Amino acid sequence: MSITIQNLNKQFGNFTALNNINLEVNSGELLALLGPSGCGKTSLLRIIGGLDVQNSGKILFHGKDVEQRDARERNVGFVFQHYALFRHMTVFENVAFGLRVKPKKERHTETEIKRRVHELLQLVQLDWLADRYPAQLSGGQRQRIALARALAVEPQILLLDEPFGALDTKVRKELRRWLRRLHDELHITSVFVTHDQEEALEVADRIVVMNKGNIEQVGSPDDVYASPASPFVYQFIGNVNLFHSRTHALWTQQQGDAVAYVRPHDIDISLIPQHSSLPVVVKQVRAIGSVVRLEAVIGHDGEVVEIELSRERFNLTPVAVGDEIFIRPRQIKLFEE
Amino acid sequence: MASFKAHSVLPGFNLALGFTLLYLSLLVLIPLSSLFFKTATLGWDGFWEVATGDRVLASLRVTFVASFAAAVLNAIFGLVVAWVLVRYTFPGKRLVDALVDLPFALPTAVAGITLAMLYAPNGWIGHYFAEHDIKIAYTPLGIVVALTFIGLPFVVRTVQPVLADVEAEIEEAAASLGANRWDVFRRVIFPSIYPALLTGFALAFARSIGEYGSVIFIAGNMPFISEIAPLLIVAKLEQYDYAGATAIALVMLLISFALLLAINGLQWWSNRREIR
Repeated sequence: MSITIQNLNKQFGNFTALNNINLEVNSGELLALLGPSGCGKTSLLRIIGGLDVQNSGKILFHGKDVEQRDARERNVGFVFQHYALFRHMTVFENVAFGLRVKPKKERHTETEIKRRVHELLQLVQLDWLADRYPAQLSGGQRQRIALARALAVEPQILLLDEPFGALDTKVRKELRRWLRRLHDELHITSVFVTHDQEEALEVADRIVVMNKGNIEQVGSPDDVYASPASPFVYQFIGNVNLFHSRTHALWTQQQGDAVAYVRPHDIDISLIPQHSSLPVVVKQVRAIGSVVRLEAVIGHDGEVVEIELSRERFNLTPVAVGDEIFIRPRQIKLFEE
Repeated sequence: MASFKAHSVLPGFNLALGFTLLYLSLLVLIPLSSLFFKTATLGWDGFWEVATGDRVLASLRVTFVASFAAAVLNAIFGLVVAWVLVRYTFPGKRLVDALVDLPFALPTAVAGITLAMLYAPNGWIGHYFAEHDIKIAYTPLGIVVALTFIGLPFVVRTVQPVLADVEAEIEEAAASLGANRWDVFRRVIFPSIYPALLTGFALAFARSIGEYGSVIFIAGNMPFISEIAPLLIVAKLEQYDYAGATAIALVMLLISFALLLAINGLQWWSNRREIR
């Protein structure tokens, strides 16, 4: 089921959480809303789910306006950052909740409910925890149960609000791969909110980058990373070095004030000056896993440049703290100042 | 002894435990055991005669039935008050919040006299009921009114913080799963606040059983109809029948203890199902 968002606005008092948002979520895709906290991504998700109400604008599910339908009539599965499991119910009862509160004539028989719940618990690979209480589970397990609970009512749309935000790094990585696989199996239209760019890049089909209530860019993970549409996106996704055109005119033909954005791994180093290279002094060398990160200072004004090299590349040109080297960007993006 | 002692960053387990035992002994255990000793002077037959006297049994029934009814009323309406105070903001909310504690502070006799005046057949509120031939003051109904007044803060104050702790997300999760409002309350919110509600109920109930000051003014104190057990105890004391007074007190104590124990058991049982 596709979601269409038209001219959506949301204010909290004087604060504009969403500023005229227009967005199309395609049927069956996994879309990430990415942005820093306070950018409006969670507000947008809650409005789609019917947990909040917009000040103006429309939300359409499959072309139909859903304004008149509240959360329980939207048939949307919602997964919360802090799980929001019912702690006085067993895992089984948590998952069965959505089936038990169906109107009498739509309600399944007890054996059918049992079958469905166990099927879902198998899907999230936690069938063996059916009789436990949420407090007895780990964070990762709780979130998987929360997902099973949301899926029990066979929602047309799945909304996830920072689903892995409260988990530690290792579980988080496991779980997002697992979510991706699950989505590939179920093909349910899903929107998930995150402030973690790595998570969005790894899991989503498309990424919506938001900032201060506005959409900065919509695109595939590759698009967003390789060709950011705005300085904000450039800085938010991945590390970046800024060079002011006036001081580094040799890299740009542009006249006037502009800022050049260069990713640390798009910088080449050499020990001898080359065409349009810039002399810097190495201040720090750190080997982090498979990459080596250099911090260097541009001689005349003390500006710091971050450079990232693969270990092999570094081994070809080993440099040490205090060395003078010459840098040149492989790729550069200019934004007017 | 050492095996009970869990490691703690704050020292003083022995001192604190010793103090607690001494304090409870002086204030609770010794006075209550003297109740036993005084009653024992009656002998078993004498005790049985006092305890099973018709008037005593009737007064005990009035006390416990009225207290139970008042506690049930408080549990229901106290929950509503707590709900309103937690969930909504309205002008004068702080004032209403403060009003809830008033029954704690007011001398109970004042409450009794005021209620008796209001609910008397010619009183402000009472005359509306009198038109329908319902008498409130000077009947068991009046006792329930007084006890409801006395017990109100207990339920509100125990339920309020727990209700405030129920995360909005839990309700949102239930709603997004298709639960209607009644289901959200019945299946999600109520089970979370139920232990606190039970505690409030038990406190209000216990408080009502021992209440004397407010009840005697509104009850009419007719033997067999609206005479409460504490009044009978006072009457015995005034006749210098100390052993008889302690005998009734002992019966009340045992029944109260058994009831509170049962409520505690119920709480333990419901807590056990929910491991936090």
